[in-house]
Amino acid sequence: MPQAMKHVRILVLREDLPQASLTLADTGNFHPDPRPPQEQQLTPLQDRRYQKEYQQARSRLDKIAQVVPAPEPDLSEIRVVGLEELAETNAWLGEAWEFCLEHQEGFRELDEEERLLDEEEAALANFAELNVDLGTLRNKTRFLEYHIGVVPRENVRRLEGALGLAGHLLFTYMERGESSHVVIVGPAGKEGTELRSVLSNAGFQAIPLPQGLDDSPEAIRSEQRARRERIEKERARLTEEVEGCATDMRDRLARAATVLVLAEPFVSLDPAIRSAGHLAFVAGWVPAKTVPELEQRLQETLSNGFSLESRKPRSDERSLVPTVPVRHRLLQPFALLVKQYGIPRYGEIDPTLLFTITFLLMFGTMFGDVGHGAVLALLAWLFRKPLGRFYLFGVMAGLSSVVFGFLFGSVFGYKELIPAVWMSPLYDPILMLQLALGWGVFFITLACGLTIFNRFAINEPMAALFGHHGLVNLLFYLGLVWGGVSVALTGGFGIAQVVLVVGSLLALAVYNWFHLQASVGERILVVLIETLETVIGYISNTLSFLRVAAFSINHVALMIAVLTLAGMMGAVGHVLMVIFGNIFVMVLEGVIVTIQVMRLQYYEGFSRYFSGDGREFSPLRLRRRPRAA
Amino acid sequence: MPSAAHDAYLNTRVAGKATRLFRSGDLERFAQMSLPELSQEFGLGSILEDPGSVNAKSRAVEQALLHVLMEELTVLIRPMNAAERSVVVAWGRQFALFNLKTLLRGKIRQLDPQEIRENLYDLPPQVRLSSEDLFRVENAVELLRVLESGPLSLLARQAREIYEKRQEAFALEAAIDQRYYAELVRRVARLDDTTAQRQMRKLVGSLVDRANVLWLLRFRFAYQLPASETFYQLVPSPALLHRERLLELVGMDDQPKVIDALPEPLGSMLADAGNLMEIQRRLGHHCGGVAWSALRSGQSGVARALAYLILREADLRLLFTLIQGRLLSLPDTYVNLALGLSPAICVHQWRQAA
Repeated sequence: MPQAMKHVRILVLREDLPQASLTLADTGNFHPDPRPPQEQQLTPLQDRRYQKEYQQARSRLDKIAQVVPAPEPDLSEIRVVGLEELAETNAWLGEAWEFCLEHQEGFRELDEEERLLDEEEAALANFAELNVDLGTLRNKTRFLEYHIGVVPRENVRRLEGALGLAGHLLFTYMERGESSHVVIVGPAGKEGTELRSVLSNAGFQAIPLPQGLDDSPEAIRSEQRARRERIEKERARLTEEVEGCATDMRDRLARAATVLVLAEPFVSLDPAIRSAGHLAFVAGWVPAKTVPELEQRLQETLSNGFSLESRKPRSDERSLVPTVPVRHRLLQPFALLVKQYGIPRYGEIDPTLLFTITFLLMFGTMFGDVGHGAVLALLAWLFRKPLGRFYLFGVMAGLSSVVFGFLFGSVFGYKELIPAVWMSPLYDPILMLQLALGWGVFFITLACGLTIFNRFAINEPMAALFGHHGLVNLLFYLGLVWGGVSVALTGGFGIAQVVLVVGSLLALAVYNWFHLQASVGERILVVLIETLETVIGYISNTLSFLRVAAFSINHVALMIAVLTLAGMMGAVGHVLMVIFGNIFVMVLEGVIVTIQVMRLQYYEGFSRYFSGDGREFSPLRLRRRPRAA
Repeated sequence: MPSAAHDAYLNTRVAGKATRLFRSGDLERFAQMSLPELSQEFGLGSILEDPGSVNAKSRAVEQALLHVLMEELTVLIRPMNAAERSVVVAWGRQFALFNLKTLLRGKIRQLDPQEIRENLYDLPPQVRLSSEDLFRVENAVELLRVLESGPLSLLARQAREIYEKRQEAFALEAAIDQRYYAELVRRVARLDDTTAQRQMRKLVGSLVDRANVLWLLRFRFAYQLPASETFYQLVPSPALLHRERLLELVGMDDQPKVIDALPEPLGSMLADAGNLMEIQRRLGHHCGGVAWSALRSGQSGVARALAYLILREADLRLLFTLIQGRLLSLPDTYVNLALGLSPAICVHQWRQAA
């Protein structure tokens, strides 16, 4: 059942606000409500210095954490952080970031130098094949001057045109990656500002030709090696410097991280704070059972008096009340999948538990094999680190397969290894299909029941009775199922069943008729189509569950195919076929079955009873761990 | 898929939306309306009635109008294929580049981050600058460094090198604008459908021609930049002002000669324009004419969609100008000048006109 919530209003002295924020964050049960209060005289805080200092400091710390490892904040002592301390921390973080930035810039310059060196080597290798005196390219002649360098390839054509207007010629002699190697030739002695400006706009980078061009190739290569070594040395020096400073800064960074974690609640609470003179008030949503604890913690920590009022949510603010998510560790991965669809509205039943049970039942039925399930569970457990909390999803799905594997008596497709507790799905496919249909009827009835409950819970009785998947829909569906069973058993639909089906359909049609704001013709059309859609929808939705039986049979059939193929091979081929066949079935079927079960859950289940447009309970908290870089 | 079938949905959407465009006489009618009447006509009541400064209201109106345009862009690109969508999104990215320029100016002048943020457009994910990191930087060079790691890397690298050498926003912004139009032309050239490409060349070409004429006159004669540097800032157009023509035009040494040498219809249209504002106004009309022609008689869905967006943007800009004029209680003469309802005149003639 959903957790009851209360709306809480806390009135404190302004000087106690930082401490109150810390206490509220420490309890982890206060979800701020930023709505403006009824009282006109209460206004948002005017002094924004604390918020500004915090935002800048937080941004700096996050950026620094991308360069040097961020230490854990020390929260052994929960204390108020004043504006002065925050400003001092921010200023220090500014200096630290400046240091990081300088070093990052240093690394970038070295990268750039290395890139130019690569280009230079490529250029010289190219020139080596030409029969020209490269020494002249380095110097101005009496009439001509030369520029050799690289330019982004996409700028070459424009640069060529622009240089033509400045009386220069551009020749491209090589293209490497995104750069073009060019030689620019023009009359010597002209004013160089125009040329420099165009070259700068075009991103031209000159390649300095080494002095000793007349030397042997080995001498030039050795000079380039020396430059490369110098770059590497410089990079190593910078790395060492950064590491050294990171060690020196570690304690100070930890203190800064602590200060920011302690300052954060006051900043996060800011949109929900209103004040008048020396008084300030904050409002929020708190789980009803934790209100006394919250009040007691405030009494313990606030030096001055305060007032705390709590009340149940009003019906008009139901859509604003946050929903506390399921916190059980085993249900966490399933809660994530539910969250992909949406958050339950306040008052609605949280579908996570139901989702977990039905998911595992259907997955196990469709993928029942002791061996396959065990492999899946083992893999999920082995990869628990990269999978995070989601590994439990794999473990539980695998264990469900193992349980159904025992029921079906199947280990990696072999039927002889263990006796079936029940039977193999392929021994009686008709029974399997009948059971799947029965499961579908149960699932849809349960979903409709939850829809009705949820609509009553959020005070929408008419929707609970006549809306989509409401009570009248359920009566129609049960009438239809009853009739279907009668046809199967006796050959006739039955009068009571006909009355129930037709009566409920008529009730729906009449309800739709009076709720439509349209012309008579349009009403007739819509009512007819909607009634027809109801009939077809429920039948097709029930038949949709046949896939549960179909996939369980399919699983067995696929394994029979694998073992038959293996039986047609020699000893080695047999083993390989069994191994790769099992891998193929596990991967292919595992994925398909997961998708099919999710489809049944989302489409046949959630779309009926779960609106998904609720608000997540997101309480003020102390950030215990630094942000991921 | 055959072109007609491919474009059927898009053409229907464009035709439906085109009924919202201003028709002849609409602007004159709106120019007679008071602020409350305008607010009622365009459903801006909640924004204009809220208490707040003129600046805040003006920003909110601009954002609301841009939101309308961006929503329409999002709807129109949905049925397009990847190449078509990339052209329209590249056109819409002009607003992201406005944001980038705002960020750069703000960082160069060391404005408060909150103040900078308030002046940024809220854009849909397809066109916005992607990284939240951009907002956390502390100066222009750091901003350009962050941009270097994203899709605007080449632009950012060149812009940073220019900025580090010259420490001025002009060269940076010119590089950003130049890259914007060059990218637009490049994406048009990548369209597979020849009909779409032909019509888009005309449409996008008119935008590039407009920018080229204005930049050429401004850089060459107002800022006195040399011909080579001016040429480098221009973008060869797929319509009238192609590369060879630009090379010829930038070499001329006064404005009348340049205007005389412009290809038709630009030459005769600008012959007696007089000043840059009037030239800008007439070029705006020219672009509008090309867009209307593409919208009415174009065969390509994507060209019609882009034509619609160009016209819609122009309309919404005019509407914003009008509302801003009303918010600032400017005399009608000034407002009409800004709306282009009367020929543009030099600043010293304004007082006389008023």
